[in-house]
Parts: sequence; C-alpha cells; structure tokens
Amino acid sequence: MKIEQLVVDLSKDPFNPTLNFDVAVEYEKQNQTASAVSFYLRTAEYGHTYHPSLTYASLLKAAHCFDDQNDRQATVSNCLLQAVAYLPYRPEAYFLLAQFYERSGQWQECYTWAQIGLHQQPCGALPVHVGYEGQYVLVFEKAVAAWWIGRKEESLDLLHQLDAMNIEPGYKNAVKNNLERLSNVDV
Amino acid sequence: MNLVQKAVQHGGKLAPLVIPHGLTSGTGLMNPSIFIDNDGEILVNLRHVNYTLYHAENEQLFPSRHGPLSYLHPEKDRRLVTVNYLCRLNADLEMTHHAKVDTSALDVEPIWEFVGEEDCRVIQWGGEYYLVGVRRDTTTNGVGRMEYSKIEIDRENWTVKEVSRVRINAPEPNDSYCEKNWIPVVDKPWHFIKWTMPTELVKADPETGKCVQIFVKPTIAPPADQRGSSQVIRWGNMYISITHEVNLFKNYLKQKDAIYRHRLIVWDQELNIVGLSQPFSFLDARVEFCVGAAVHQDDLLVSFGFQDNAAFVLRVPQKVVEDLIMEALSNEN
Repeated sequence: MKIEQLVVDLSKDPFNPTLNFDVAVEYEKQNQTASAVSFYLRTAEYGHTYHPSLTYASLLKAAHCFDDQNDRQATVSNCLLQAVAYLPYRPEAYFLLAQFYERSGQWQECYTWAQIGLHQQPCGALPVHVGYEGQYVLVFEKAVAAWWIGRKEESLDLLHQLDAMNIEPGYKNAVKNNLERLSNVDV
Repeated sequence: MNLVQKAVQHGGKLAPLVIPHGLTSGTGLMNPSIFIDNDGEILVNLRHVNYTLYHAENEQLFPSRHGPLSYLHPEKDRRLVTVNYLCRLNADLEMTHHAKVDTSALDVEPIWEFVGEEDCRVIQWGGEYYLVGVRRDTTTNGVGRMEYSKIEIDRENWTVKEVSRVRINAPEPNDSYCEKNWIPVVDKPWHFIKWTMPTELVKADPETGKCVQIFVKPTIAPPADQRGSSQVIRWGNMYISITHEVNLFKNYLKQKDAIYRHRLIVWDQELNIVGLSQPFSFLDARVEFCVGAAVHQDDLLVSFGFQDNAAFVLRVPQKVVEDLIMEALSNEN
C-alpha cells in the first residue's frame, strides 16, 4: 500500500502500534530511513505493553536504518541492546549484535553474543524479516569469530556441521568458502 | 482530531514528499515550504538534513544513548547540515521535479555547527524567487539572521541556482542573538511578521539587508507564545497564517524536550489579529512543524514536517478552513 494511504489510515488512530509499524516498513522499503525510524520508534513507545513482537522488531529495524545511514554505530548497538533488554529470550537481537561486531572485527564480542544467542529458545516469527534465518546463523557467527580468537578447531568443526545442513544459499556459499580457505591453513 | 484526519475526511488529500535515497542517504527530509507562484506553479522548498531526529515519545522507554531527544548526526561530523531542494508538484500534489539548490557560487566556509540556510519560506517578490530562512554558520557562536537567498530556476532542465545572498539585519539596535521564523506577508513585498503577538511588522531591503520596523500592534494576550510558521496569505478579505507554539518540558535527564502544536491566526486587512483557533496537530506527533501555506483551487495547501524526519503537503478543503476561521473568530482566548 502506498505511504499516502498508510499515513491517512494512521491519522485516524495515530498511536496504534500496528499502523505506525506499517508506515515505517513502507518508508524503509523506499530507503527513507529517517522517516522509517520515526515510525519504528513510535511503534516501540506506544506498543511495548501489548505488542511485544512489533516493539522488538521495531527496535531491530531502527538499528538497521541507522546502520544504513553510516557512521552512527553507537546508535545501532544501542537499539540492539534495547531489544535484548526488552525480550531477552529471543535470539534475533543477539544474532544482529554478533553480526555487528563481526563487521568491525571485534571477534570476542561477536563470539560472545552468538554464544548467548544460541542459548535462547526458538520463538515464533517476527512480523518482519530481520535477517535471522534460523539458529544456524548464530552458529555461523560463532564459527567465524572462533577462528579469530584462537579456537580454530572449534571453528572448523562448526563450519563442517553447517556444511552438512540444509541452509540458505548465501550461508552455504560462505561456509564452503571459509572451509576452503581455512582448510589450507595450518591449525 | 488531528488536521490530517479532518482534512481527508472532508475530501482533502495528504501527499508525502520524498526525494530518492540516492540523493539523501536516507536522513531527514523536513519542514517543506509550499508556495504558488505567479504562473500558478506549485513549488515546495524541502529541507534535507544530515541527521535523523531521534525522539522517543510516550513514556520514553527507548531513548538513544544521548537521551529521548537527540539529533543523530554522523559520529565523525558533529555539524547539523542543511541543504535545500526546490520541488515542483502537479495539481494532484505529486512531485514531478526536484533539484538541489546550487549554492556553490556564494558559499563560504561555515564557522559554526549549524550549517546552511534553515527553514526557508519560498516567496516571489519583484518578479524574483527567494528562499528566506535563517543562517547561523557565519559567526563562531551561532548568531542567527534571516537571509534573502535569491534563486534562479531553469524550468527546462529543472536546475536551481542561488544568485545572491543578503543577510537581513534585525531592526536597530540589531543586537539580538538569533532571529528566525520571520514570516513573509505574501502580497506585501519585503514585509515580514517578525513577531506575532504582539504583532511586529518589519520591512527588509533585499539589496542592503537593512530592516526597519513598520509597526508593533498590541494583541490579546496569547494563551501560549505564538511563533511564526507559514507565510501570511490572503483568504478572501482577510489574511491567515499558521503559527506554532512549543510546550517545553524537561525529560528524565533534565534535558529540554518539547511538544509542538499549531494554530490558525486570522488577521484583518491592516494585520490586526482578529482570531486565533484552538491548538491542533497534524498527525499527533510531538514534534511537527509547518513552514508553508498557499491557496490552491479554493482550498488551502499546508506543508509540514513530521519529527524532522518526514515531509508532507496537506490539501485542506475550503470548508475545513472556513470552520477553522470561524473557530478562530469566535475564540475568546
């Protein structure tokens, strides 16, 4: 639905978390990330009592929007940490934090967040995709980070486990590439 | 009921204003100023900033690292930078053209953190187009003065170039720190309402920037300080404009926080205030800001920013405007 209609719908019930979320998603589709952030934050602030999934997803998406704007890393991590604090039993925010630290080469942090994420319970799907394909993505983060913090055998072991799994093609390729590269390195 | 809901319910229309992400990196598009020129073209100045306003509303449970209200500029660049896009809309309020205002011929190295001309109102006086906004980057302590930024529009290629820039003095003694939100009186060239209540009218020379006070008129005591927002425009045999008021409060960190609300003001032909509507919001956000209004096909077009992060034009049907005017005229504030 077009932004215009979504905002008109929102005008009739401006504090409705679902309507705010719908507007945010539409703005984000157009890469209008500042606009999206406004409506994601409203979703969280007006939805935290009765709409936990929407609130949690909004914090993760706000992090994604700030990441897309570049050079706002403290805000990216802040949004993710708020999501962890809000629903600490869900795995997605741990995964995104692990990925966040992987990108900046902070391997112990990456490993730690992935490990904590692996100890959370599987939950129902979020109302929007946040990049979490399943528990294996946490295993992947842990495997990559393990290599860089001196746990090379653990890393290879995890990568072999992943290689044997039916996982999303992007991850499948990354696992194969890593195995190929790392297998040629003396452990 | 917010104004968007009321306007749409009566046959009005809301139009989001968006410029492609490739030009803006997704940061804030805000405070649009609508104007209809002598040829009937619908023009909008759209302010683009390098930050995203982070504003946690309601119970403020999810603040940024800097608090519930913060301007999230790049971490390696503390400046809050504004550039302007001049846009053309069709009668359905769809954006057909947009061009960044090329200021390169007149730019000087900014020496304060707020960079660029902010919250420009579009105006056409003496056959020339101007963006009139506040600039605060010419002194090391951020002194703000209104500026005439004369622009030339190449309609064929839709490019916009700033060709002259004149800083407007405040009336003598010209020693105030920051002058902003002076609102042009559209059919009185070079005249601005500098202060709404009491009403101070000034005239500013577009060549020299010299400014003189024309009058200060007493008004009823406002229920809250009314500040300039939209241009002052003709509506029948009166003038109307939209003003804003700010309810300032301290959040839990004792930081300044605010709720903005707007009102419609009715003026007679001599610019005496004769009516003031009840406060209204556009979409019930805490931070909203109107910088433009214009009459189009008997309706009122109003442009506003939402939390510094999104921009809209709203067509307010004539009947809704008339109701607001009646409310203003009967308001015993």
